[in-house]
Amino acid sequence: MRLKARDLLGIEELDLQDIELILDTADGFLEVARRPIKKVPILRGRTVVNFFLEPSTRTRSSFEIAEKRLSADSVNLVGSGSSIVKGETLIDTGRNLEAMSPDIIVIRHSSSGAPHLLAHKLRSSIINAGDGFHEHPTQALLDAFTIRQKKERLEGLRVAIVGDIAHSRVARSNLLLLRKAGAEVTVCGPPTLIPPHIEKLGAHVTSNLAEAIEGADVIMMLRLQLERQKGGYFPSLREYFYYFGLTVEHVRRAKPDVIIMHPGPMNRGVEITSEVADGPYSVILEQVANGVAVRMAVLYLLLGGSADEEAA
Amino acid sequence: MKRLLKGGRVVDPASGVDGRADVLIEDGRITRVEPNIATADSEVVDCSGRVVAPGFIDMHVHLREPGREDEETIASGSRAATAGGFTTVACMPNTEPPLDNGSIIEFVLTQARRAEGANVMPIGCVTKARKGAELAEIGEMVRAGAVAVSDDGSPVASPLLMRRALEYCRQFGIPVIDHCEDPDLAASGAMNEGQVSTALGLRGMPCAAEDIMVCRDIRLAEITGGRVHIAHVSAHRSVEAIREARARGVAVSGEATPHHFSLTEEAVRGFDTHAKMNPPLRSEEDRAGVMEGVLDGTLEAIATDHAPHNAIEKDVEFERAPFGIIGLEMAVSISLDRLVHGAGMKLAEMIRRFTEGPARILGLRGRGTLAPGSHADVTVLDPDCEVTVKMDALHSLSRNCPYSGWKLRGAPVMTLVGGVLVWRRD
Repeated sequence: MRLKARDLLGIEELDLQDIELILDTADGFLEVARRPIKKVPILRGRTVVNFFLEPSTRTRSSFEIAEKRLSADSVNLVGSGSSIVKGETLIDTGRNLEAMSPDIIVIRHSSSGAPHLLAHKLRSSIINAGDGFHEHPTQALLDAFTIRQKKERLEGLRVAIVGDIAHSRVARSNLLLLRKAGAEVTVCGPPTLIPPHIEKLGAHVTSNLAEAIEGADVIMMLRLQLERQKGGYFPSLREYFYYFGLTVEHVRRAKPDVIIMHPGPMNRGVEITSEVADGPYSVILEQVANGVAVRMAVLYLLLGGSADEEAA
Repeated sequence: MKRLLKGGRVVDPASGVDGRADVLIEDGRITRVEPNIATADSEVVDCSGRVVAPGFIDMHVHLREPGREDEETIASGSRAATAGGFTTVACMPNTEPPLDNGSIIEFVLTQARRAEGANVMPIGCVTKARKGAELAEIGEMVRAGAVAVSDDGSPVASPLLMRRALEYCRQFGIPVIDHCEDPDLAASGAMNEGQVSTALGLRGMPCAAEDIMVCRDIRLAEITGGRVHIAHVSAHRSVEAIREARARGVAVSGEATPHHFSLTEEAVRGFDTHAKMNPPLRSEEDRAGVMEGVLDGTLEAIATDHAPHNAIEKDVEFERAPFGIIGLEMAVSISLDRLVHGAGMKLAEMIRRFTEGPARILGLRGRGTLAPGSHADVTVLDPDCEVTVKMDALHSLSRNCPYSGWKLRGAPVMTLVGGVLVWRRD
């Protein structure tokens, strides 16, 4: 089995069948983490380059652990250590990496569309680990995996995504995935942080947190970049918290079995109180654990077909 | 030296001519436009089955010289112009250094004479070094040959300075051409703000950044009596504002680019940097609004905003890529295809947007018409031939445009500048 596309650039390019294939495959990889020897030989001899041009703790270590558990050889390249800082273009850096015959390049970049540019120019498979405000497909996949784990379905669920929607690739990828899977999605934030025409991507829009949360099965909180205050998007963290900070009182409006998610890193006391983040509904650390299995599934499915050819 | 353009359909909107006629050229001037001219001593150019029009004028190009001769030169740009059916281009002053004084205007004109391509009419800066702080020596530039002033690429952001520029230019009778974009509202945007920017996660530039400044400029033209020309109108509300102001008699004019009436923001999907320009491609409503403005004459000129860029600079992350696409060698075909064949525009009206319109705005005497005594700048069209846009056939030094492989109906086939046949389609 493998994915229809050669690259994982975004949720936009996936159909529901692809999404289900990834989630089902991740199910099988979940138990690898519970073994004493956390390694399977599936990608032995394969090379994966993790090319991160933006700071990342969770996503980068998650990919790296996923690669190692699949026995792939991985190389990490970060922005400050790469020749990008010497003025090399992204395409040239990509071509140089490709000259060393990697099978997959995982890229994180601050510009929307950077992975698409590389995919267009290189033969290696490209995995988008977050591009600008555009997409973060593996985050949406691990979120969907976590929701499915807890709710045993995606279809028909009510999901609220709360915070800085405009500057969030996590919000976009989740919205696309959840809509493809038949969930109902409400995005919520101050009007300054809601991008124009987001409803055309299938979202309900509100700036009333209570309304967004009412009857929700899932609440996804987004990280608020503190520097947005300088851009005039909101007057103060104090006021932001008053309207959009998630408290225990808010959570009571949701379904009794609601789950609370956050892609990290969290600003405690800004978008979420510690009481909620550490409370019984929170699945934030499970998201992180599931991230490894989901990324293993993506790596495996992108290279799976060629592994079969070798076996044949 | 006499040359006779024989047997064509002559369409000269400025003189109200549309019919079968011959055009006689003597010593670089048009001398007669009549049916069945018989002369013994002239070279005859067969124009049967063709449309003979006044030489097309593109009032908005970037020729990049001085400064970025790797992207375009005055020579290559003026040859690209003739191969696109243009006999005159007006070049914008955002070069390195910028065209902000008389001697550099003279340099452009000298290079243009050497090039022997299309006529090149320089546009000077409104402000010194395009910095938006003090007026440039506009009078000196006009004496040297500048036909207008503009800080194109940037707006004249200060309303007070724009007011002064409009007032000051009245004594020279030249228009101030403004690139209307509120710099705060459009700040760091890479494309139109709308559903596609939301889907792609790119920072958007709202239409209001343009139309707010169009409205400002209209009011300033009104209180000063100066002439303002709005470059590359991209938003339907800008068109409406210009239409309303013109009806009131305000001295405002506007131009449309072929890309703004033939493409929308949808072309950016896939992060194609060849669809990145400023002002950006906008919504379908805006595209239709701009086209309507061209059709009803609110926008008097079609101009390319030909903006050559080195492939190395366009082959980067979308946000990092420079704004701009080339257009000199496709504009006439796109206009024939989309306006005449696609939207039922009368051929004479389309020709007017390329001739009488820009000639009036720039105050060019003896151009944009075939009236006897005019410069013998002539564009010959085949309005029905099928052409495919091929990148390797271009004369421009740059290739940055989204038109590769486009099949279009109608094309220029011959260009004469000052009576000299400078280009002919193979």
